[in-house]
Amino acid sequence: MDRRRFLTVLGATGGAAAAASACDIHAEPTEHLVPYTVPPENQVPGIATYYATTCRECAAGCGLHAKVREGRVVKLEGNPESPINQGRLCSRGQAGLQGLYNPDRITDPMARGPSGEWQKLSWEDAIARLQSKVKEARGKGIVFVTGLESGSFGELVDSWMKELGGRHATYEPFAFEALREGNRLTFGTSAIPWYDFANARYIVSFGADFMETWLSPVGYQNGFTRAHAFESGRDGSMAKFVSIAPRLSLTGMSADEWIAAKPATEFMLALAMAQVILAERLAPSPADARGLERLLPAPQQAATFVGMEARDIRRLSREFAASKGGLAVAGGVSTHYGNGAHLLVASVNLLNYVAGQVGKTVKFGPNHALQSAGSFEQLTDLVVDMSAGKVGLLFVHGANPAHSLPAAFSQALGKVAYRVSFSSYLDETAAASDLILPDLHPLEQWNDARPRAGVYALQQPVMQPVFPNTRHTGDVLLQASGKSGSFKDYLQTQWRALHQRYGRGRGFDEFWSDALQHGGVYADAPAQSVRLVPGIAQRLGGLGGAGGVAEQRLLIVFPSIALHDGRGANKPWLQELPDPVSKIAWHGWVEVHPETAAKSQLANGDILQLESAHGTVRAPVWITPGVRPDVLAIPSGQGHKAYGRYAKDRSFNAFELLSDKPTDFGGRAFAVAVTVKKTGDHRRLATVEGDAREQGRGIVEVLSLTKARQLKRGAHPFEEEEMPPYARKALDAWAEAQHEKASLGNYAGEHPRWAMAIDLAKCTGCSACVTACYAENNLATVGEELVSRRRQMSWLRIERYYTGGEEGHPVGAVVTPMLCQQCGNAPCEPVCPVYAAYHTPDGLNGQVYNRCVGTRYCANNCPYKVRYFNWYNYAEPGGEWESWPDPLNMLLNPDVTVREKGVMEKCTFCVQRIRGAQNRARLEDRGVQDGEITPSCAQACPSEAIVFGDLHDKTSRVAALAQDPRGYHVLAGLNTRPAITYLARVVHGAVVEG
Amino acid sequence: MAETPTSRVTYDFVTRAIARTLGNPGKGYYALLTLAVALLSVGIVCLLFLLRYGLGLAGYSHPVYWAVYITCFVFWVGIAHSGTLISAILFLFRSGWRTAVYRTAEAMTVFAVMTAGLFPLIHIGRQWYFYWLIPYPNERGLWPNFKSPLIWDEFAIGTYFTVSTVFLIMGLIPDIAAVRDMATGWRKKLYAICALGWRGTNEQWRHYTRGYLYLAALATPLVLSVHSVVSWDFAMALVPGWHATIFAPYFVAGAIYSGVAMVITLLVPIRKLFHLEDLITVHHFENLAKLCLLTGMIVGYAYCVEYFTAWFGGHAAERAAFWYRAFGPFWWASWTMIICNAFLPLLLWRKNIRTSILALFVISIFVNIGMWFERFVIIVESLAGEPFERFANATYNPTWADWGIMAGSFGWFFMWFLLFVKNFPAVSISEVKEVLPVPQRGKARAS
Amino acid sequence: MKLANPLTAIFHPPPTPGVLGVFGHVDAVVDAIGQLRKAGHTDFTVYSPIPRHEIEDALEQPVSPVRMFTLIGGLAGCAIGAWVTLYMSYDWPLVLGGKPIGSIPPYVVIMFEMTILFGALSTILGILFNALFAARRLGTVAYDPRFTNDKFGIFVPAETARAGPLESLLRGAGAEEVRRA
Repeated sequence: MDRRRFLTVLGATGGAAAAASACDIHAEPTEHLVPYTVPPENQVPGIATYYATTCRECAAGCGLHAKVREGRVVKLEGNPESPINQGRLCSRGQAGLQGLYNPDRITDPMARGPSGEWQKLSWEDAIARLQSKVKEARGKGIVFVTGLESGSFGELVDSWMKELGGRHATYEPFAFEALREGNRLTFGTSAIPWYDFANARYIVSFGADFMETWLSPVGYQNGFTRAHAFESGRDGSMAKFVSIAPRLSLTGMSADEWIAAKPATEFMLALAMAQVILAERLAPSPADARGLERLLPAPQQAATFVGMEARDIRRLSREFAASKGGLAVAGGVSTHYGNGAHLLVASVNLLNYVAGQVGKTVKFGPNHALQSAGSFEQLTDLVVDMSAGKVGLLFVHGANPAHSLPAAFSQALGKVAYRVSFSSYLDETAAASDLILPDLHPLEQWNDARPRAGVYALQQPVMQPVFPNTRHTGDVLLQASGKSGSFKDYLQTQWRALHQRYGRGRGFDEFWSDALQHGGVYADAPAQSVRLVPGIAQRLGGLGGAGGVAEQRLLIVFPSIALHDGRGANKPWLQELPDPVSKIAWHGWVEVHPETAAKSQLANGDILQLESAHGTVRAPVWITPGVRPDVLAIPSGQGHKAYGRYAKDRSFNAFELLSDKPTDFGGRAFAVAVTVKKTGDHRRLATVEGDAREQGRGIVEVLSLTKARQLKRGAHPFEEEEMPPYARKALDAWAEAQHEKASLGNYAGEHPRWAMAIDLAKCTGCSACVTACYAENNLATVGEELVSRRRQMSWLRIERYYTGGEEGHPVGAVVTPMLCQQCGNAPCEPVCPVYAAYHTPDGLNGQVYNRCVGTRYCANNCPYKVRYFNWYNYAEPGGEWESWPDPLNMLLNPDVTVREKGVMEKCTFCVQRIRGAQNRARLEDRGVQDGEITPSCAQACPSEAIVFGDLHDKTSRVAALAQDPRGYHVLAGLNTRPAITYLARVVHGAVVEG
Repeated sequence: MAETPTSRVTYDFVTRAIARTLGNPGKGYYALLTLAVALLSVGIVCLLFLLRYGLGLAGYSHPVYWAVYITCFVFWVGIAHSGTLISAILFLFRSGWRTAVYRTAEAMTVFAVMTAGLFPLIHIGRQWYFYWLIPYPNERGLWPNFKSPLIWDEFAIGTYFTVSTVFLIMGLIPDIAAVRDMATGWRKKLYAICALGWRGTNEQWRHYTRGYLYLAALATPLVLSVHSVVSWDFAMALVPGWHATIFAPYFVAGAIYSGVAMVITLLVPIRKLFHLEDLITVHHFENLAKLCLLTGMIVGYAYCVEYFTAWFGGHAAERAAFWYRAFGPFWWASWTMIICNAFLPLLLWRKNIRTSILALFVISIFVNIGMWFERFVIIVESLAGEPFERFANATYNPTWADWGIMAGSFGWFFMWFLLFVKNFPAVSISEVKEVLPVPQRGKARAS
Repeated sequence: MKLANPLTAIFHPPPTPGVLGVFGHVDAVVDAIGQLRKAGHTDFTVYSPIPRHEIEDALEQPVSPVRMFTLIGGLAGCAIGAWVTLYMSYDWPLVLGGKPIGSIPPYVVIMFEMTILFGALSTILGILFNALFAARRLGTVAYDPRFTNDKFGIFVPAETARAGPLESLLRGAGAEEVRRA
């Protein structure tokens, strides 16, 4: 980034801080510049300022803390006060930064010239042109398409469209129509309830990927682990999780039982379970549900249809009811088959209802904002109007239908007289428009959101606009509609209403700045009680063998956790993040079951041509036991025709295969019958996976729940007894003597031993920690070619090993985060010829980048393989492997060196944070408190699986966990004495070997 | 006595025959020299790219952090071992046949070490800081870490280079004097300087022979230590496939094996080019062949022991590593190594093969290939297999940068070697005379 | 009048007067040496293209002092190796892999290599010092190029007056030719 821009943003915080309150979380920054020649009060260069705001990367609306250093936001972290995400944040949320600093952002308003080329113009001209076009288009049909806008901006658009007699359509590619329609059928409300995973004791997911993209993934994953984790302290009763889905998704990997039901037959299972519960009086069912069993299919009837044993259905039902905390959720792929998916939701609702869980684990009232999202049908209607020429002026903001509805929408777009885009990036839709009025990035602008009833999340600018000539669409609309004042004023007028309700007698300004500091106003929404719509049971029971998909090769398009509907594709962190299941980065793939692959002699990387009635794509094969033999699955999000250097012309666009006709419930079918053709081509998959089986190396240990419960304090089920006791004693004595010899210089005296405990019963493998590590430690993204050569730099990787999968048994998976173990006897240290790798007095394996000459001996000698080498100069401006093209370099963490070509790098438990905390403690003349230091991975982890602290402090949480009977060290037999204690994963039922 | 070269060879004949090698060597020689220089320049170009863009140009991956460069390093260090063996150990054993070949072997040693020494510098990530491995006083008060086998290497290779060089020069002095006394013009002046005033007086011989004896006595443990130290680069690490106590003797045997093979490979053409058939006879080749056979069988034994202990030890990772070696994606490399090194040399049991120059030449080349692959197998496969962290194991594909610099190293080696044989006596004049019947009054009595 | 350049005396010393005998056979040389020593000559020089034990025996020379150089050099090297490793470890103590700062076993390797290195170098010094620089009347005694090829030679320093008997002695011993220098 050039000097001028640096100074600009530098100045900005000056003002920000000047206005900031003493509280650590600061109020809004003022917009005028204060040069550092006059150092502002309480703004110390090198000390970070935090602003609370709201994440806009998906509809969940998580609360954010933006870490701002010298005027640049350098990291996004969860806002602990937000009831949505409890201070946690997923990869996509953290990658919002790369949207802000994206090198392909549109910097100025642009209009199409006569010959179709883009011409920059001033905002005055741009707005003038906008106004004239609006004048022309009056009566000819004006439509404003936005993404889900649950806040004031949405209302502004609504009101403006009312003025103009236009209409405001919101579009989310994954809009959960089936869920809403299903709820309407069963309960007469299309609201999306809040699912209380945390208090569920038995969770059955019918395809719902609630840890990935389903409604509010971070919050739900957090709740899920609260229920599903095994805490030795607690009664050790951990919730059971059954996943019913055609493929093993990230969510499914945490399941204790995976049932790969026949596609589109899941509803029968739900109904049969309800029938058993009713018939056997297993639960206190509400009065209006009694007797419905007569209408519902019996297990044996459902069994053959679903493709499972009747007794398993009975077992599930009994366990579900007996748990007294059952929660069944439907969504994801199971609701994407097309027609009838809403009936699955209805059946699942019925199951919850008869189990008496509606109102307990299924809470109507705090409803999700997505209920107000437009349905797919509304968009297709719009497309019809557009192609019929009934739309004279189209505004698009925060949506990219040209990508998710490639054929139909793009054609229709051509028929629209004038198209205006407010996109910050030149995505497919923007590229096809006539006028682009680049919006500010959500981190630069004022706005608010209501992610769920009762939660009013505020969104404030956390820094000066990276590109000064972009402008808040709200301001543009107000100006265009001739209103006075800025959008901020508009927002505040909206909030005056809230002030009335939640002001509790304070003045508005106080209320406002308080809301800003806490990221919004968090209130409880009153619970709604719902009743079963009469006759629904008859209707569902009547389905009998109806539904189900014809026996063709069925292809499922599942939402990618990293790229979602494709909006993540322009962010290198998300592109390089290996998919939690397939471990493939930078490219799409098609999942094929080994049997299917064997039948048609497919190998990993062979390119298949998938042809549906609507389109054709070419996808490389990834063979996995985690998918039904009769199903193929491909991820969404790739295959952009535009959208910047990282997304453009990469991989294939899964949406091209899908029908553009709405389903009977107004939603979209994300599954389609395809014919598969084998092309001769091959592509080397950019995967970070080596061996898919752990082969009993003791990297991931698993305990059965019964065994785990029996473990007494001080038991060590995993301890390596490699030597007889006398030998062990001798070794310990010897080690002690060695240590004595080594205790001099800096090493003499008391020191902490920094350590970590990772609970594999909590870790789901969602990989939020990986992105957090990239953000905190300036890890370079190296691109597809280098990833395929295993040159990725992820200090922290999530290893995924398959388990089971023998004849008749479903395959499972275990995951573990693998990072530097900070060994006590580190093999990497003594082999370094120049002391670049050495042991710090506080027990870290230090790595002195400036001393490293790059012999790479340390990496060879590291049994955990967690050292990474700079093969190229990833920071070289304009270089072929440049990782931070301007202005992406603005997100570099100033506390961490950017490593040079030819040096080894590795995790050091975020040593910059450790030293920071120690310095703070020293200034305040006190010791470092337990929990004061949180490495970025632990901070991001949505399931709170990682605990960090000082092992020598016997009162610390980590010291306690290190003594946990489930605790073990990876490869303990090598006597490396790691500082990381893994707590064994716990599963219901028997342990399957890897 | 079988050792003496053909009977028409007298002192005078020896001097003239060897001095002739300093004359015009003819087209074949210059062709080879050009080829060598060409290869070297290829290597230099690749190296420049490597320095500019980084090691990424080579085929490395995670976890294969050492590959072709270290393979070449070990290969060349190995080559360097036969020279000192022949000149020092056989000298102590007083085996006369060495005299005709030891000069070539020693020269080869020096140049092989020069070549090997380049690779550690090339393969490190920040080549421009190579001197940080040297213990020199600096304002940062930093010293190298003597616990690191790489520093042992540095000292071992450094010592070996120094000692073998002075050893070579020592042996050369009387011969250069002899050449000086035959040469004329500027060459005479040049050789006069190089001869350091050698005249072969009784005083000079008295100190010279003593000193030479002690040098040999020092060089003998050195030659055994150097490749042991190199082997410890691997044996000191905990990588299954590296972490083995057999490595030191195993590597030393392998080194001598490859060295002797390389001596044969070099002697055959030199003998032709410079018409030394009378001095370097089939007899010498046969002795070299026997040495080859011996070391080759030791190496073969070591292979068996490796696999046996991996199986017998019962350590899962260890077994996985060797299974990967034999049947993993690099099976072809492993089997090339085993066939070339363990089975091919068994042919040398047959005298008619031992005494056929052509057969020896061919076998020696295969042994060189096999020994290169041995190092490749040990280094690359042990890393790529990654038996501990199953998730991290990965394959490895060398690139043009690997091959280019490897080719360059051959060019570099042969360039120096060819320049040497052209400009200095490639066969020891004085020592060959020592095994001739000494001129006596009346009939010639054997010495 | 021209002044003598003092350096000339060092770099171009006047040739030593004496008698040079060229021999074709080693046993003749041995005889000659025997007779010379009987005649009380001690400081004559024997040339030979290769080292011969007969000659050494006939001359009954003491064992070369070079071995002392080797011994001292080797010991010094070992000591330096030990000092370098230990001093440099403790100068800035850094713990590696839980090992003691100064751990002897790895340092033995360095000590060994230094022993060899210094031993070898000082041996070379010893040879150069003794054989070349310390050689008596270097470059002033008569020499014949054939001595590095196939002839042996003996040079006996003597004033012209006393040269006669020496010539006959050498010829008698079997010299192929005898010259005065």
